[in-house]
Amino acid sequence: MKKLLQKSSKLLVLLALYQTASPAYAAKYSLNLTSKSISQPDDPTSTNANISGKVVTAAGEPLPGVTVIVKNTQNGTTTATDGTFQLSVAKPTEVLVFSFIGYTAKEVPLNNQKNIQVTLHDDVKALSEVVVVGYGTQERRNLVGSVTKVDAAETKDIPTGGFNAQLQGKVAGVQVSSNTGVPGEAVALRVRGATSINSSNEPLYVIDGVFLNSSSLQSIGTGGKATSPLADINPADILSVEVLKDASATAIYGSRGANGVIIVTTKRGDFNQKPKITFNASQGWSKAVKLWDLTTGPEHATLVNEYYTNIGKPKPFRPATEVINGVAGLGLPEEQQTYDRLGKVFGTARLQNYDLALQGGTANTKYYIAGGYNTQESILKPITFERASFKVNLDQVINDKWQVGVSNTFGRTFRNQARAGDGPAGGLLQAALHTPTYLAPTNEQGVPVGRAGFDNVDLLLENYDVHSVSLRYLGNLYLEGELLPNVRFRSSWGVDYNNYDESEYWNTYLISGSPAGAATAATGQQTALLNEQTLTFRKEIAPGHTLGVLLGNTLQSNVLSRTSATGTGFANNSFKLISAAAVSTSSQSWTKNTLTSFFSRVDYNYHNRYLLELTFRADGSSRFGNQNKWGYFPAIGAAWRAKQEKFLKDVNAISDLKLKVNYGITGNQNLPDFANQGLWAGGSPYQGQPGTAPQQLGNENLKWERTSQINAGLELGLLHDRLGLEVNVYHKYTKDGLLPTALPATTGFSTYWDNVAEVSNKGFELGINTENIKTAGFSWQTNFNISRNINRIEKLPTPLKYGSRDLIIQQEGHPLYSFWVYKQLYVDPQTGNAVYEDVDKNGSITTADRQIYGSIWPKYFGGITNNFSYRGFDANIFLAFSYGNKIYNHNRFFGEGGGARDAARIIFASNLNRWQQPGDITDVPKADGVNVNNYRDGGSRWLEDGSYLRLRAVNLGYTLPLNYARRFKMEAVRVYVVGSNLFTATKYTGLDPESAASSDQNQQGIDLGTPPQPRSIQVGVNLTL
Amino acid sequence: MKSLKYIIAFSLTLPLGACEKLLDVQPKSAISDTQTIVDKASAETALRGVYSALADGSYYGTGFQSIGYLSGDNVQWTGSQSQVQEFINHKVNADNATISSAWTAIYRTINRANNVLAKVPQVATNVTFSETLRNQIIGEAYFIRALAYFDLARTWGGVPIITNPTQSPTENWNIPKSTAAETYAQVIADLDLAEPLLPETTNRFQATRKTVWALKARYFLYQQDYAKAEEYASKLIGDAANYQLLKPYNAFFANNARGTQESVFEIFYSATETNAHRNQWQPQTNGGTRQWAPNSTLVDLLNNPLTGGSRSALIAKDNQNRWYGNLYYRSPATDPSFVIRVAELYLIRAEARAQQGNITGALADLNAVRDRAELLPLEAFTTEEILLAIENEHRLEFAFEPHRWYDLVRTGRAQEVLQVTDTKRLVMPIPAEQLLIDPGLTQNDGY
Repeated sequence: MKKLLQKSSKLLVLLALYQTASPAYAAKYSLNLTSKSISQPDDPTSTNANISGKVVTAAGEPLPGVTVIVKNTQNGTTTATDGTFQLSVAKPTEVLVFSFIGYTAKEVPLNNQKNIQVTLHDDVKALSEVVVVGYGTQERRNLVGSVTKVDAAETKDIPTGGFNAQLQGKVAGVQVSSNTGVPGEAVALRVRGATSINSSNEPLYVIDGVFLNSSSLQSIGTGGKATSPLADINPADILSVEVLKDASATAIYGSRGANGVIIVTTKRGDFNQKPKITFNASQGWSKAVKLWDLTTGPEHATLVNEYYTNIGKPKPFRPATEVINGVAGLGLPEEQQTYDRLGKVFGTARLQNYDLALQGGTANTKYYIAGGYNTQESILKPITFERASFKVNLDQVINDKWQVGVSNTFGRTFRNQARAGDGPAGGLLQAALHTPTYLAPTNEQGVPVGRAGFDNVDLLLENYDVHSVSLRYLGNLYLEGELLPNVRFRSSWGVDYNNYDESEYWNTYLISGSPAGAATAATGQQTALLNEQTLTFRKEIAPGHTLGVLLGNTLQSNVLSRTSATGTGFANNSFKLISAAAVSTSSQSWTKNTLTSFFSRVDYNYHNRYLLELTFRADGSSRFGNQNKWGYFPAIGAAWRAKQEKFLKDVNAISDLKLKVNYGITGNQNLPDFANQGLWAGGSPYQGQPGTAPQQLGNENLKWERTSQINAGLELGLLHDRLGLEVNVYHKYTKDGLLPTALPATTGFSTYWDNVAEVSNKGFELGINTENIKTAGFSWQTNFNISRNINRIEKLPTPLKYGSRDLIIQQEGHPLYSFWVYKQLYVDPQTGNAVYEDVDKNGSITTADRQIYGSIWPKYFGGITNNFSYRGFDANIFLAFSYGNKIYNHNRFFGEGGGARDAARIIFASNLNRWQQPGDITDVPKADGVNVNNYRDGGSRWLEDGSYLRLRAVNLGYTLPLNYARRFKMEAVRVYVVGSNLFTATKYTGLDPESAASSDQNQQGIDLGTPPQPRSIQVGVNLTL
Repeated sequence: MKSLKYIIAFSLTLPLGACEKLLDVQPKSAISDTQTIVDKASAETALRGVYSALADGSYYGTGFQSIGYLSGDNVQWTGSQSQVQEFINHKVNADNATISSAWTAIYRTINRANNVLAKVPQVATNVTFSETLRNQIIGEAYFIRALAYFDLARTWGGVPIITNPTQSPTENWNIPKSTAAETYAQVIADLDLAEPLLPETTNRFQATRKTVWALKARYFLYQQDYAKAEEYASKLIGDAANYQLLKPYNAFFANNARGTQESVFEIFYSATETNAHRNQWQPQTNGGTRQWAPNSTLVDLLNNPLTGGSRSALIAKDNQNRWYGNLYYRSPATDPSFVIRVAELYLIRAEARAQQGNITGALADLNAVRDRAELLPLEAFTTEEILLAIENEHRLEFAFEPHRWYDLVRTGRAQEVLQVTDTKRLVMPIPAEQLLIDPGLTQNDGY
């Protein structure tokens, strides 16, 4: 009986290890165990010494359930309730390995002892965790800057195209808006707000030391949307993602660091690791949570009739026999049919993912070789995303000092694309959503016809032919070693190569193909080359004084070229290549920029108590004139680990306390190449002959956009780090903001590039990690973060307007991306007319009465992740939230036209709430026309609260007991199910509060013709051999 | 491994020397604006750049022309952009997008012309670059600048006059508006300079001395200098070998015609330099947007054999039985934009003659246009009657060309015919965003 208990308790411990520890941790220990050792723990044939002992905590309390294994054997046991254990070993010189969840594993050589006492210490993993920083790594506890690490294993199953979309809600201060339900399309990711009006606010992405291009190469229009180049990378190959937020962390990236830096580290093998094969397969299905609520044919006709009555004209929906001014009636409202089009374009989409990886290493070589295949259909037909990727990471030791290695990522991303949003030609949602329901999809002869100026849905679905293929190679080759004692040298050569091939073909059934077919083909090529050398010195120069010095340089060049051709006039619909077109045109573009940098970082550590860090980078850019070629970016940071002080050392409740403050300057040079030069360009032909013309005015004073940032933070660990808390407050101020500054037209130019804008961002970030429950069988951890960012344009000479109907305005004194609307106060219950706020009090509503009314910025945003594990089961429940952001429901603007657009546009069911008779209380006025008072373009009626709380992902898994897994010759078998976007709480009346019609950073927050993020379920299995 | 150290030491010093050179990157599709017009070839390409600006989608390639034809009474709005409706209703707001883009496109044309006018005279003549050719290039630039200021003056009234190329962001703005008279004075000054420089040849896509005469005829009609208007119109009408009213009416545009004898000056478009007009006019089934369409009054007039005659060729019906304008129909959109047709010169002379009391002569010119449209000639009239007949003929002859609005404003009939109640609305507003960025500009009265 006792034996049985021992056996079963051992099994439980092993399982617990599996579920809760990190995969690498579990794998490492599981490799040392076989079912044989479990079923026959004390095989007498191998026994010639009996060892007994006791395991206690640092406080001297006995620790039950600790796994005790003889190193490099399959022999082991667990401690009893009093912490004692007994074990038979082959030789009295064996080494025993003690491990237990939440404690640091310990190896104890027996050295012929028969009875040993072992003390296990709390695993302060969170603190000793190594974090990747710019050009190096740092222990978390010694960080001066603000860096957040995300474990990719936690997010990789969320079905999105790129890993960036998976970061939503995971990192304090990082705001992610998915924009669209189309997988692999650009998402908006912002680290601590936005600093620039016109230069890109995208953070810098660095993958295995390669600076990644993150702007789309797409040139064929899909209604304002753009593909995401980050979707070329398979999230399954990613080990961890580090987000560098403050100046101390980002200044080492100088001119490219102003919007934060996201460092991605991919998986590598380990030296002396047995080959390990992991295989992951999943299948999933996704579907829109809801679709738009539309009027029926009779309802539509009723509203249209009402409009005509309001303006004193005859009702168009009257008996066909009633002819007025030669126009016959369209039939009474109740005679109208209702045709469903949305049901044709939205469906259940399928998701598939397969990943296979081999990793391991010998004494001198380590490797990671992986392949992945991912395909995601969009819920909006016929859009699909398909990625095949291949990865090889190798490291080879040359001798005791030098090592070389390569990282290679190959990816091929195929997309079936479609215009979802703005159109009209080819617009899927224009055809399916914006076409009035009473109009038949066929004419009297039964031939499919497009209505309301849009394409016919069936023809569109049958004939859509827009594709792209992105071929991506990311590679890095490095040499690293010890040049002198304590001085390490590293040289690395990297490339980001992207070939983006796209084509569209419109046959004669489609508007874009009228009258004789049209085709476009384009190839874009981006080649970014990178060379870096670094020298690092690190030494404890005197007891307690550690000094680190980093010196380095970088050379970068980036060439973007594109060739495209268009053809029109095809003999018939069988001919699809431009070579068959009657008329073809072509174009070519080429642009290049280079960057040369020198950088240095000095850090000083006094007894792990006081930390000081100085960073400096000088960047020379080809984008600026001789006077301003070089920009200088310094930063200084200090941290005080108060816990290391005598007065806190013995305070057990506080396991860590650190205060930090830093200040620095980073830059932004995301402007067009050659923007500083006065140029004349070709491409102004006349009569087929070449022509030249002034293209842009030069500005030799053009210089870097500079962002200074101050950050103060506190890190606190309580109760043996079961409660961890980090708070940061920051203030970023961007000066010399690069902007195409408006020039009066009398100059013959519209803009020139100048440093004019100033933008500030200030905010706080709070992150809390707790280990709520930690027992051998059950654990529950919670990770919560919340952030607030206040964005403000401090200086801008003239307001800038963006988006359809100038819905977005950038104006001094207000946040970027503010909404500019006529504020509707109420609908007059007597007249049914909308009453707007008369801002200038002149008695009439004119453009001068448009006002700023909210912005896209949330007041608070963040996420909550809960991890549970119980025996073989694990669960990860993740919620993301955003509160206080506005969104313009532009679909509803069109859909609530009040009947004035009649056959030209759908009417949403919400329009039925219109005012009808005196006394009616509603916010939907009576119909009076298009862009007249009641249905005025840019009315605030369609500006809505975009706050949401979203159950972003639920991941449930079950890991098979080891002995079952072994039966299938597996080391681990986990089956899982992932549910995404299962639930969203929002007041927004559209489909998805994260929707944006355009990928343009200045047109965020306008929802038009965008498929929502779907609800999806995936089931999968994870095998380790 | 010793050698490794040397390699590393060497590679560290490498970037130091290379970096200045690395940072010097020049574009391939553009050149520095300090070296632009230096010889015959660059003078010719720069001139084509000026024509290209004239052909821009916001100028003769739709935008500016649409102001002229939408503001008349021939066209209705059938699209989604409500700013179009503002022209039709004669309630144009200062933030109207077309107003803004046309203003910008015209001044861009002027700046390009100013570059040619400032730099080409500096280019030395030689064996390949004759004095005649240099004069011709300068003359064409003067003509285009004259046309640009003419278009500005008749659309906005007085505007800032810019005659030098912009070399830096500080130049050519913060300049107050000239009066309308001063702006028109700039037009005639440029035309007078262009006339002797240009050869007396026939070219329907580029300016010649004859093109200058044609614009002068229109200019003097606007100035109510009827004798001169008649004189200059007669110069072209009399050149029957080169300028003819072609029959049938659609001969000047149908069947992919271009550069016909009807045409005095038209803008050339090709598959690579397309004309945006068709996209606005053609229905969706033909790949357009039918942003606007002929209104029912115009459809009736054109289809009426007593008024429209063969000009009914200007309109057609789509598969949903909707009328659309069919002057711009080609795919790819290579339709020319018509600037001056000889029919206009007939009507200019008819009006000029009528104003001078020459009813018979006026009637002859008017009936020439009617005859071409396969209509019966009109009989004797009073001056008032014939002026009205010319006005009505003009409306249909140039149904989709930018004449109706400008003619009614010029003759003071806009208030009556188009019910423009506020006479201040007879000029367009200065674009609102230009007022924001240019302190020297002031808004036109009434806006």
